[in-house]
Amino acid sequence: MSHLLPRSRGLAALATIGATAALALTACGTESDAPSGDEPASQAECQGPDGDYLIGMSQANNAEPYRVQMNDDIEAAAKEVDQFDVKIADAAQDSATQVSQVQNFITQKVDLLIISPNEAAPLTSVVADAYNQGIPVIVLDRKVEGDAYTQWIGADNEEIGKRAGEFVAKELLPDGGNVVEIRGLSGSTPAKEREDGFAKGIAGNPDIKIIDKGDGDWLLEDGQAEAQAMFKAHDDIDVVYSHNDPMGQGAAAAAEDAGVKDQIDILGIDGLPIPAGGLKSVETGELTATFVYPTGGKEAVDTAKQILIDCEDVPKTVTLETEQVTKENAAQIYEQNSTE
Amino acid sequence: MTTDTVAPAPQPPEPERTTKRRFVIPERFFTLQSYVALALVFVLSVAISPRRGGEILFLDTDNLLEILRQVSEIGIIAVGMTFVILIAGIDLSVGAVLGLASTGVASLLVIDGYGVLPAVLLILVIGLAFGAVQGTLTTFLGIQAFIVTLAGMQVARGLARIWSDGQVIGIAYGGGEGTVPDGFELLDSRTFNGTIPIPALIFVGVAIIALLVVRYTVFARHVYAIGGNERAARLSGIPVARVKITVFAIAGLLSALAGIIHAGQYNQGDPNAGIEYELDAIAAVVIGGTSLMGGVGSVAGTLAGALLLGILNNILLLKNIDSDVQLLIKGLIIVAAAGIQVFRPQQR
Repeated sequence: MSHLLPRSRGLAALATIGATAALALTACGTESDAPSGDEPASQAECQGPDGDYLIGMSQANNAEPYRVQMNDDIEAAAKEVDQFDVKIADAAQDSATQVSQVQNFITQKVDLLIISPNEAAPLTSVVADAYNQGIPVIVLDRKVEGDAYTQWIGADNEEIGKRAGEFVAKELLPDGGNVVEIRGLSGSTPAKEREDGFAKGIAGNPDIKIIDKGDGDWLLEDGQAEAQAMFKAHDDIDVVYSHNDPMGQGAAAAAEDAGVKDQIDILGIDGLPIPAGGLKSVETGELTATFVYPTGGKEAVDTAKQILIDCEDVPKTVTLETEQVTKENAAQIYEQNSTE
Repeated sequence: MTTDTVAPAPQPPEPERTTKRRFVIPERFFTLQSYVALALVFVLSVAISPRRGGEILFLDTDNLLEILRQVSEIGIIAVGMTFVILIAGIDLSVGAVLGLASTGVASLLVIDGYGVLPAVLLILVIGLAFGAVQGTLTTFLGIQAFIVTLAGMQVARGLARIWSDGQVIGIAYGGGEGTVPDGFELLDSRTFNGTIPIPALIFVGVAIIALLVVRYTVFARHVYAIGGNERAARLSGIPVARVKITVFAIAGLLSALAGIIHAGQYNQGDPNAGIEYELDAIAAVVIGGTSLMGGVGSVAGTLAGALLLGILNNILLLKNIDSDVQLLIKGLIIVAAAGIQVFRPQQR
């Protein structure tokens, strides 16, 4: 074993030099967006359309429907590219597991790494390891610290919250009214951003008041319990703004129980194209509207294609647009986004 | 009940040697079992390892070092757990103490501006004291170790959350306010010509010290004697209370050490870190052939058990086996390891 390693490393080095030389000769790729300075040798890996590529995808956890959707989006998009073979690993919400996972992908010499980190700080150094060894890294949704990655793809939670707020201020309650807010897990950044964004969105209409806020921890059951308490405490609620669809679905059930479903509007966020998701809830009238929080799965595979097959440089940040979903367009968006 | 240390007659004249003869030989035999299992898993891993460009990925030096890094925390905790289980005890608090230590060291370094050395020493002392208190409670109040350490688990977790207000404390370097002295960064991933992970080195160090302790100290012989027959050990003049408290203190100390490493490896103090680590550590001990009844087993076996789990983890990840299936396989191996113990001579 000991005499094998250096030899294969030597071969790898030779191959790298060869590939670099070839690249230099053909001047493949554009220089437009390349970050200056210590850009690693990822471009040397680019074999264009003739290569076969192993892509490692490290998912923070497979327990949330949103993340399952992200995996599905990646797999569906990768299936369209013959050269791609994608391996998905589940860290089950454990950063230590995810660090091992990424390390394992490095050992497997994946051609590209996609990661949706469980937490930023613990994953930063292993992601930097991969990046510095020349593996292009696409970070999805949640971030890592520093800038040792190739591209971050994600949606803007504050922007989505703002869109929800504007929808309330302009369309649902142009003459003012009372809003209650069911927040996600306290201390999590999306919950804070969706809260701040919403406040900005309704700011233009001083007659709208947020009369109560509670934590639903992203869960249907907790959202339902929170909404139940709110319906008991207030009889003048016009709109329930829920930080995600499941809590909104819980609020809808509570509203049904309290006999106020017809008098109030419930807003969710995420808009997953699955049978239990927000798009269906809007279609059936359970929710008045939702806002699509895109997974970035398809976009990640597009970026992988640009890097590995088209040998192009890619921008450092890709911010995904949200889509407002109401009864009119729910079925159509479901059709577009579903990977089934 | 009073203990009469000059109790005469019925005991054989040299009880220490007797216990050695009765317990150490089967211990070696069962340590051998875990070595065989370890070798088996290793060979199997080489055989099924994915290859790329003719290289067996599993045998890649970086990968083997990565396995050592991955098992370092559990391995260090499992060493302490071995001593506890050898005296027929159990320590369920180790994972929570790891969480407390990681939170504590991050808090001392980031918020209170301590230097690395004082912060680390203080946390080690806290871990040691925590274990010693648990040992004292179980020894003098006669409460089962299971209950004492179950309570200890809640207390340590509670302390960790109170210490940090329930928040994760991020550890950042680079100078300026709120950053940590660079020395602490050594614990993160790699150093020494960029290859050998420091957590792996610390694990190896702890392992060597533990093996020496088992081989050369009176303390270790007392541990085996107490685990074999506590009453007999007491009657033969072994300071049972002191040894038991020391054992729990060692477990607490090593858990705190693992917690400090955890904070360094993941650049944060997390009050929720280490959940279920106690179970992984117990699994390593059991696979290593140590009997939960006490008195029989070895640190060497535990080390083999921890490495076996680490290799298994690694090869399953390399093969991209679903994490749910990984749990299943781990469970089967634990049952198999425990099942082998049925064939222990003295239990037939």
